[in-house]
Amino acid sequence: MSSKNIIEIEGLHKSYSNHKALDNINLSIGESKIFGLLGPNGAGKTTLIRIINQILEPDQGVIKFAGELLSRKHIHSIGYLPEERGLYKKMKVGEQVLYLAQLKGLSKKDAKHKLSYWFEKLGAETWWNKKVEDLSKGMAQKIQFITTVLHEPKVLILDEPLSGLDPVNSLLIKNEILELKKNNTSIILSTHDMNSVEEICEEVAIINHSKKILQGSINEIKKNYEEKLWTILYSGNQMNFTNAVWGGWELMNHIVLNENIKKAEIKLLNDFTINKFIKGIVDHVEILEINKKTPSINDVFIKATTDE
Amino acid sequence: MSKIGLIISREYLTRVKKKTFILMSFLGPLLIFGFVLLTSYLSQENKEKYEILVVDESHLFDSILRNSDKYHLQWAPNGKDYNEVQEIFKKDDQLDLLVYLPVNLIKTNSMTAKCLYKEIPSTGVQKHLSSIINEAIELYRVNFNNIDISTYKSIKTKINLDVVDIENKENRNIQRKAFVGIALALFIYGFIFLYSVQVMRGVIEEKTNRIVEVIISSVSSFELMMAKIIGVGLVGITQFIIWAIVTMIMSISIFPLLIIDKFDPSLQMNSDELVNNSFKIDPNNEAIQFIINEVQWSYLIVFFILFFLGGYLLYSGLMAAIGAAVDEEADTQQFLLPLTIPMVFAILMASKVIDDPSSSLAFWLSEIPFTSPIIMIVRIAMGIGDSSVEIWEIILSLFLLTITFIGTTWLSGRIYRKGILSYGKKASYSDLFKWLKN
Repeated sequence: MSSKNIIEIEGLHKSYSNHKALDNINLSIGESKIFGLLGPNGAGKTTLIRIINQILEPDQGVIKFAGELLSRKHIHSIGYLPEERGLYKKMKVGEQVLYLAQLKGLSKKDAKHKLSYWFEKLGAETWWNKKVEDLSKGMAQKIQFITTVLHEPKVLILDEPLSGLDPVNSLLIKNEILELKKNNTSIILSTHDMNSVEEICEEVAIINHSKKILQGSINEIKKNYEEKLWTILYSGNQMNFTNAVWGGWELMNHIVLNENIKKAEIKLLNDFTINKFIKGIVDHVEILEINKKTPSINDVFIKATTDE
Repeated sequence: MSKIGLIISREYLTRVKKKTFILMSFLGPLLIFGFVLLTSYLSQENKEKYEILVVDESHLFDSILRNSDKYHLQWAPNGKDYNEVQEIFKKDDQLDLLVYLPVNLIKTNSMTAKCLYKEIPSTGVQKHLSSIINEAIELYRVNFNNIDISTYKSIKTKINLDVVDIENKENRNIQRKAFVGIALALFIYGFIFLYSVQVMRGVIEEKTNRIVEVIISSVSSFELMMAKIIGVGLVGITQFIIWAIVTMIMSISIFPLLIIDKFDPSLQMNSDELVNNSFKIDPNNEAIQFIINEVQWSYLIVFFILFFLGGYLLYSGLMAAIGAAVDEEADTQQFLLPLTIPMVFAILMASKVIDDPSSSLAFWLSEIPFTSPIIMIVRIAMGIGDSSVEIWEIILSLFLLTITFIGTTWLSGRIYRKGILSYGKKASYSDLFKWLKN
C-alpha cells in the first residue's frame, strides 16, 4: 500500500429522484497507482467518476484531492476519458485538440508543443488537418486519449479506455497507461475487461448496488477469495478416484480430457488438507499433476457481486 | 483567453466561417429584394389584356365608358337579352369578363352593376371596372345637369389626409410607418427562431457526438450553455449587421435602377383617377421619401437589436434545454410547439396593434416577454409618444424581458445539466419537471 493517497472519499452519498446511486462510499486511491474501479452496469461507477470530475455534486460526503478539499482548481489536475465520448465531427483534428487542450488550461503554445510530441508518439502526425468524421474509430480513440493526457494531469480517470480498440492499439494504449504510471500519474481505470485489470491494476474496488463491497490490492483480494480449490490431472478409473477418500472434500467439476487423462476440480472442506487427499488416492489412480487454483479477478467479481 | 471566451469564440467562428453563413450574408438581402420585386411583378403582370363584353340596358354608356387597350370593351349585340348574352359569353373563349349594366343604373343610386367571370379578376381589375363605371355615370350626370366639364374638373378633388399627433408633429401617418415595424417584427421573429434553433442544434450535436462530458469536465454545464448562447447570438448580430450594410449598398446602387424600370409610368395605370390630367404622385418617389425621411432608423435599429437580443436570450435558453432533453432533432417537436405558439400569435396580432397602437391589447402584448420583442418593435416603428408607445412602456418591456430571460435561463440551466448526460431515453415533460426540481 502506498503511504500517500491522491484521492480520499468519505461518506459519499448521491441520490437521483427515483433511486440511490451512491450509498456511503468510502474510498482511498493511492498516489501513482493504477486503481481499478469495478462493478456491474448501473452500480454507480459513472456517478462516482462524475462527482470526482465535479460534473455532479454529491448530496453528502467529502472528497479530498492530495489532502485538500476537492474544488474547481483541481479540474486542471484531472484528465477524464468518459465512457460516452466523442469529438466534434465537422471540426479538424488539429483545431479540436488545441481547443480541448486550452479548455484544460494549457496555453496555445504549450499545447502545440505537447501535441507534436504525442502525435508523433501515437503515429498521428498526418491527421492534423483531417476532419474527425474522416478518422476511423481507432484513430478517434487515440485522439481522445491524447486530449485526456496532454495537460499532464496528476490523476487520470479512464472509463473503458480500451473498448473498441483492436489488439494492437489496445496494447499500445495499455503500455502508455503503464508509462504514465511510471511517471507518477495516478490512474483510475473503470472497466469490465477483467484481463486488463489483472494485467495492469494494483488495487481495485468493487461497487455493487451503489455500495462499495470490496477494496484492496489485487493479491490481497484474491487471497481472501481463495477457496481451497485444487485441480488434479490423473489417469485411471473415475470411480476409483471418487471413492478413494471418504469425506472432507467435494468434487466441483470433472472432465474427461481423453481416454487416459481426466481432470478433477476439488474443494477441500474444513481442516482437510491436500496431503491427506493425496495419501488417499495415490494407490488408486496415477497422479499426473496437482495445482492450487487461485481465483481470477473475474471469479472474485462474479462471486462478490452475486453473493450480495 | 478565459474558458468561456474560448467556447464563445469557437461557437462564433465555426459558424461564421461556414460557407452557408457567408452565402446567406449576401444572398439574404438579395432574396428579400427579389421576393419583393417578384410579388409586385406577379401581382401586376397577371394579364396583358382583358376582353370585356358589356351589356348596357340603358344604351347610355356607349359614348362615355372609357375604353382602353388593356381593358378592351365590346358591346353586346342589340336585341339580345342578358341571358342570351351570357350564353354568348360562355361560348366565346376570347371574352374574359361580362359586365352587366342594368337599365336603372345610370339614373338611380340603388342598382348594382354585375361582373361575370370565367377566371376571377384581380381586385385591381375590379377596382378599374367600378371606377370607369362611376366615371361614366358622373360624366352622364354632369352633362345631364348642364354643368361645364371644366368646372366639374375643378370641383373634383382627391386629397391626402395627413394624420398628425398634436404633441409630437414628427408622428405623422403612423399606420404607414407600422409596415416598417411589421417588416422588422418579421425579422425579429425570423432571427429569434433561426438562431435559437441553432443553439438547440448545437446542444444536440454535442450530446450526440458525446463530446459534452469532456467539455463539462473543464467548465460547468451552465457556463457551456451560456457561452453557446452568447456565441450564436453574436453570429446573429453579425449577420444582421452584414445584411444592413449589404442592403444599404444595394439600396443606393441596384434598387433604384430596378424600381424606376419597374414603375415605368406607362405600366402604372392609375385607374381610379376620374379625369386623366389630374395631379399624379409617383408612388416610387413617395415610398422612398417616406422610408428615408419619415422612418426614424437610428432608434429603430437600436431597439431592434435590444429586442432581438432580449427575445433571443429568452427563447434560446429554452431551446438549449430542449436540445439537452432529446437525443435527436426529430424528438424536439413536442417541446417546440409551446414555444412557437406565442410568437406566431404575436405576428397574427400585429395588424390589430397597428389598427390601434395605444389599445390595451397592444400594451399587454408589448409587455408580456414572450410576445413583446415582436409587438413592441411594431409600436416603436409607429413612433414614440402619446399616440403609440411611451418611453416608459419600452423601458418596462425591456426590464420584464430581461428578468424573464434571466429566470428562464436559470430554469433551462437546471434542465440542461441533467439532460445532456441522459442518453437513450426520450424525455417527457414529467422528466423535465423532475430535472427542474432536483
